[in-house]
Amino acid sequence: MNKLGIESIKQGKVSINVSDAGAGISVAVEGDIDMQDPSVILDPLFDKVHKGCMDSGIKSVALDVRQLTFLNSSGIKAIAKWIMNLAGAPADKKYVIKIVQNKSIPWQTTSLSTLTFLVPGAVQLE
Amino acid sequence: MSIESEVKDGYIELRFGPRWKYIAVVRAFIQNFLAVSFSDDVRADKIAMAASELLENAVKYANGEDTRIRVSLSSATGDIDISVSNKATPEAMASLKAMWDSVMTDDPLAAYVTKMKEAATRSDGKSQLGLVRIRYETGARMTLKTEGEFITIELKYVK
Repeated sequence: MNKLGIESIKQGKVSINVSDAGAGISVAVEGDIDMQDPSVILDPLFDKVHKGCMDSGIKSVALDVRQLTFLNSSGIKAIAKWIMNLAGAPADKKYVIKIVQNKSIPWQTTSLSTLTFLVPGAVQLE
Repeated sequence: MSIESEVKDGYIELRFGPRWKYIAVVRAFIQNFLAVSFSDDVRADKIAMAASELLENAVKYANGEDTRIRVSLSSATGDIDISVSNKATPEAMASLKAMWDSVMTDDPLAAYVTKMKEAATRSDGKSQLGLVRIRYETGARMTLKTEGEFITIELKYVK
């Protein structure tokens, strides 16, 4: 179990594993997010990550999507919603979301970069 | 005009009752069709994404059966045309036209970022990001048409 006590998820074609990564945590997503309403699993997960980081002072979350082969626009909405939470966060509680991408998956190179424009300084692309 | 007379090269056309479980199957089929036709995984991936987003809209908002998708290509020019048609109520058509107008204004990236911010605050379960994502990520020319009870979105992906 990771330091935030968040359980991993496996549902349909997607697996999400939350683990410790040094002083931060890693959220690794694998498979396809192409269900009709991915917010059912993503919103509660990202809410837990956000609250956990704010409460515990974690300053870095790696969103590892190197094994994510498809992401529909409803999944993008869920990630955007998570990122937008940082817009109103107190400065001393803010953390950085580092998206770890796979440049050999074509959609990732165009889709993920747009997320860096939502909240200045909140998202880094690796 | 029939599909046979419109295309210079290969095409596929599928008609099906809109069901969510078919979308991934059609997406994979289109991706493979384009990959073997053009040996260009990047374009195949983008077009398959666009097809998937259009089909998601069709499944969500279709009024009845008979959703149609057509992909045609030209080996001479490298252009790819894709269209998705579905039956829609007058209310759904009006809603789509209003969203279309809001998506097609502004710079594609600026429009996409604006819509993502709007989506983040939506509480109705919709993302309304499909069209603006297609516009930005594919760079395709996009057209919206209505004919009778059918609404059609066409993309032209010029090489």
